[in-house]
Amino acid sequence: MAEMRPVDIAAASPASQTAEEAVSLPPEQPSTPPREWIRQNLFSTPFNSALTVVFGLLVLLTARGLLNFTFSEEREWDAVRTNLRLLFTHAYPEEQYVRIWVCVGTIAVLAGLSVGLAATTARGVSVKRLSSGLMALGAVVALGVVLREPSALSNADGSVRRNDSGVIRESFAEAMVDRWGWWLAAALLATAGAALWFRFGDERRRSTFVPSVELFMGVTAIVVLSAWVYPWGHYAFTDGEFIAEPGRTVAMSTKLPWTVMWLLLAVALAAGRRLRQAGAGSNFTLALNLCWLACPFVLYWVVLRDPDLDWDRVLSVDIPLGVLFAAGGAAVLWLLTDQRIGELGRIIAALLLGLAAFNWVAAFWGWYPMLQKVRLSFLLVALAALLAHNFAGDRSKRLRLLTVWAVVMAVFHYMATLMNSPSSVETPTEAFVGGFGVTLVVAAFTLLLSFPLGVMLALARTSKLPIFRVMSTSFIEVIRGVPLITVLIFFTIILNLFLPDGMEISVLASAVLGYTLFSAAYLAENVRGGLQSIRRGQFEASDAVGLTALQRTIFIVLPQSLRVSIPPLVGQAIATFKETSLLAVIGLFDVLRMANNVIPAQTEFLGVKREGLLFVCGVYWIFAYSMSKRSQRLEKQLGVGER
Amino acid sequence: MTKSKSVLWRALAVLFCMSLIAAACGDDDDDSEATQEPAPVTTEAAAEAEPAEAEPAETTTTAAAADVIEDTQDGDLLQTVIDRGRLNCGVSGSAVAFSETDPEGGLKGFDVDYCRAVAAAILGDADAVEFTSLTAAERFTAVQTGAVDVLIRNTTWTQGRDSEVGMDFGPTTYYDGQQLMARSSQGFSSSSQIRDIDGAVVCTNSGTTTEQNIADAADAAGVDITLNTFQDFDIVTTNFINGACDIVTTDGSGLVGRKAKQQPDDQEWVIFPPTPISKEPLGPTYAQNQSRFADVVNWTVYATIIADEKGITQANANEMAANPPDAEAERLLGGEGELQTAMGLAPDAFWQVIGQVGNYDEIYSRHLNPVGLSREGSANAGWLDGGLIYAPPAR
Repeated sequence: MAEMRPVDIAAASPASQTAEEAVSLPPEQPSTPPREWIRQNLFSTPFNSALTVVFGLLVLLTARGLLNFTFSEEREWDAVRTNLRLLFTHAYPEEQYVRIWVCVGTIAVLAGLSVGLAATTARGVSVKRLSSGLMALGAVVALGVVLREPSALSNADGSVRRNDSGVIRESFAEAMVDRWGWWLAAALLATAGAALWFRFGDERRRSTFVPSVELFMGVTAIVVLSAWVYPWGHYAFTDGEFIAEPGRTVAMSTKLPWTVMWLLLAVALAAGRRLRQAGAGSNFTLALNLCWLACPFVLYWVVLRDPDLDWDRVLSVDIPLGVLFAAGGAAVLWLLTDQRIGELGRIIAALLLGLAAFNWVAAFWGWYPMLQKVRLSFLLVALAALLAHNFAGDRSKRLRLLTVWAVVMAVFHYMATLMNSPSSVETPTEAFVGGFGVTLVVAAFTLLLSFPLGVMLALARTSKLPIFRVMSTSFIEVIRGVPLITVLIFFTIILNLFLPDGMEISVLASAVLGYTLFSAAYLAENVRGGLQSIRRGQFEASDAVGLTALQRTIFIVLPQSLRVSIPPLVGQAIATFKETSLLAVIGLFDVLRMANNVIPAQTEFLGVKREGLLFVCGVYWIFAYSMSKRSQRLEKQLGVGER
Repeated sequence: MTKSKSVLWRALAVLFCMSLIAAACGDDDDDSEATQEPAPVTTEAAAEAEPAEAEPAETTTTAAAADVIEDTQDGDLLQTVIDRGRLNCGVSGSAVAFSETDPEGGLKGFDVDYCRAVAAAILGDADAVEFTSLTAAERFTAVQTGAVDVLIRNTTWTQGRDSEVGMDFGPTTYYDGQQLMARSSQGFSSSSQIRDIDGAVVCTNSGTTTEQNIADAADAAGVDITLNTFQDFDIVTTNFINGACDIVTTDGSGLVGRKAKQQPDDQEWVIFPPTPISKEPLGPTYAQNQSRFADVVNWTVYATIIADEKGITQANANEMAANPPDAEAERLLGGEGELQTAMGLAPDAFWQVIGQVGNYDEIYSRHLNPVGLSREGSANAGWLDGGLIYAPPAR
């Protein structure tokens, strides 16, 4: 809720309106001819010229080294191509693989709708920049072709030919001829750029903008289509041969599924735009954001995990329990929102909290057995009771609270039932998803859970009540003073010893838990920075209009402070995503461990490690870079730093 | 006054109802727990966001706050596995030829096949195994706490480990030993000895016993070496190929695999000394004082060895069961006078092992031959061929 409010404000604010309608474009920069630009910026003084030459050479040498490494005949890229499935989903079974695509598709649809619905403030890329960019890209490809050392000659059996002084390479001229494919690519890129340049003849038309969404869709379309021409995708190692797209099931291939994903994205995008034109209100945006929030839970527990529900138990235990707690809790809430109850209400709430806490304490001594979710339900009832007085009022207001309560209970008991059911996805090892999947799962759940916790910690740290302040401050300082790897090891090894008898927690769950606490402590400090930027006047004004503390926090303080803290929050989110690679250390099979330990231990690819590591770098970079780009867009939309 | 009093009564009534619910829930759970199977235990409920929900059905053991280790020792492990219907087996998941992960995510290898063999013996189904990939640091804790029933993760049997609380070792399935590998261009041959390595740069991976072993061996031979350690053996090999290391050392099985797969065309690698500098008998490890389960694991290994001796293979297991060559083979395959029933297994348990997984030689050649390890002339040849692979008689 809180995090999307600023979006609404920004959408309504006049600043973004003007940007959207592009009424006042920034003044046109008089463009300098390239020769003049080079003279002014690269070779202005002898010293600068020397710097340019030295560092230019350094860059070229580095590029040459990287190219030689990547395209060397000794690189076994088959290790990556064959193990793509292992790297991304570990052992997710073939016959259920379509579930992975359902997840990707759901995310594509949600992303398409969100982008389509969002008010576009960014103008995208001008035709001029696009065409010069394409031409530059063509030049870079051509430069790369020249830079890379000539390929090694190979024997009839495919091994590299050598003599005493080392590998025998073809001549430079031969190499240039052999790389005609790359030349063609460079020429195509440059021609496309030039064609654009001349097609949009004059300066005015060249400054028309290609929206970045269309540009993205175009580039991805080319990538997806290229998979139909060249087999990038899944390879299998069968009987000593590498076979592209073994094609056991359609879901295991790359072409068709990715094409479908692209189409889904395109359709959702179009639908989102249509909805925006039709004037779909903020209610729709709210629903979409709720879908985003629910998405990790539903995709993980319902789609990927495919719970095998035991209907006897569901009907005899789970549903009755849910109904009992929904009804019991509703009765308590109805009572506590009675305006006549006064101080007694708080006493009852405190007693309920005591009862809930007692259930947990009792669990440690094993005094009386109880389903875990019953304990949690009691806790939820107690928490709702503590907050109830905020919602005291007339009948309709109280009824609305009860409805919310019923929905909360339904969702909670549904999720608890799903989590308690065994998965029907059969994998040889215990975890049913691994590789990059586990990275995404841990990152998504950690971010989702640590955000509210971090906000609460920040609020507690700035609270007037000393007990909250001390608790929150000491928690934050303790966690921030301990390295993440220590927290993770502590949670995976030590936590099980502290849990009540008979209760166990999987490595993945304890990792997410520890990681959430760690990330929350850092988020809390970022949010606190935002909280401190709120001026006194805001508090006084909200007191003056008679808002309660809760209302003031939700409607006045948080929207403003969260908006300010977006840059550090996104930085924290990216760091969280990248640091999931530490999971390899605590024994989870994430993408890094696959590349570092598992693939080099395969008989076919013994010791082949560098290729996998380079690939993993690429995957991490793509995700982290797009997150950072997205946050820049968000900052622009919200006008952070403009006020 | 009366009004607030009535509110109080209503509040108390609600509280009373809630406590009734609590009591009822407790009972519910007791009943369901009693009828339920060992419960969809935590392994399935991976990645719970909240700790509490990781727990499928809360425990009912009200008394007996038993220590975890004792807990595994109290019950009969064999019966537990039979009731569960699955064998939990700890492997490495990243050990070439012993337990490697294939591109589809499945596990294969010498150790993996012994897990499957034990499952075939106990449950009659070689696929009824749940593998847990364990790091070297985690493996013993996993056995001691009962997280895995049996650990088959190229683990060396040593006195210290055997006498440690909570662990027993089964028969050795593979006799390994630390050796050295060098380039023949530097004057080494497969008959070189430790005394020939004076002044060499020797590399190995850190944090293992190989480091200590080579230092001790060099001391004993009175030679000076420079010992460099790296994080893992992939990096050691890269440095060896580049020439940063003159000699690398680790278990012989590892060296043979590296030589077969990574020796560049312009180098000739040799492995020496012929007698390894350390003894590394690898075999299964299981919880202490579980003699019924231990018997089953041990005799599964022996059954594969006896089958190898008698020439019973995966292909001819049916035929052999119908026309056994001798009385021992007949007993082993579940014929007259079979001994498996007394162990708590099905009479045809070992027939299942051979039929579904194979005999020792088949398991060995399936996984270890491709990386260049041959049985012939090694300690892993059968005792009739001068090796150490030997099984007590099945009678």
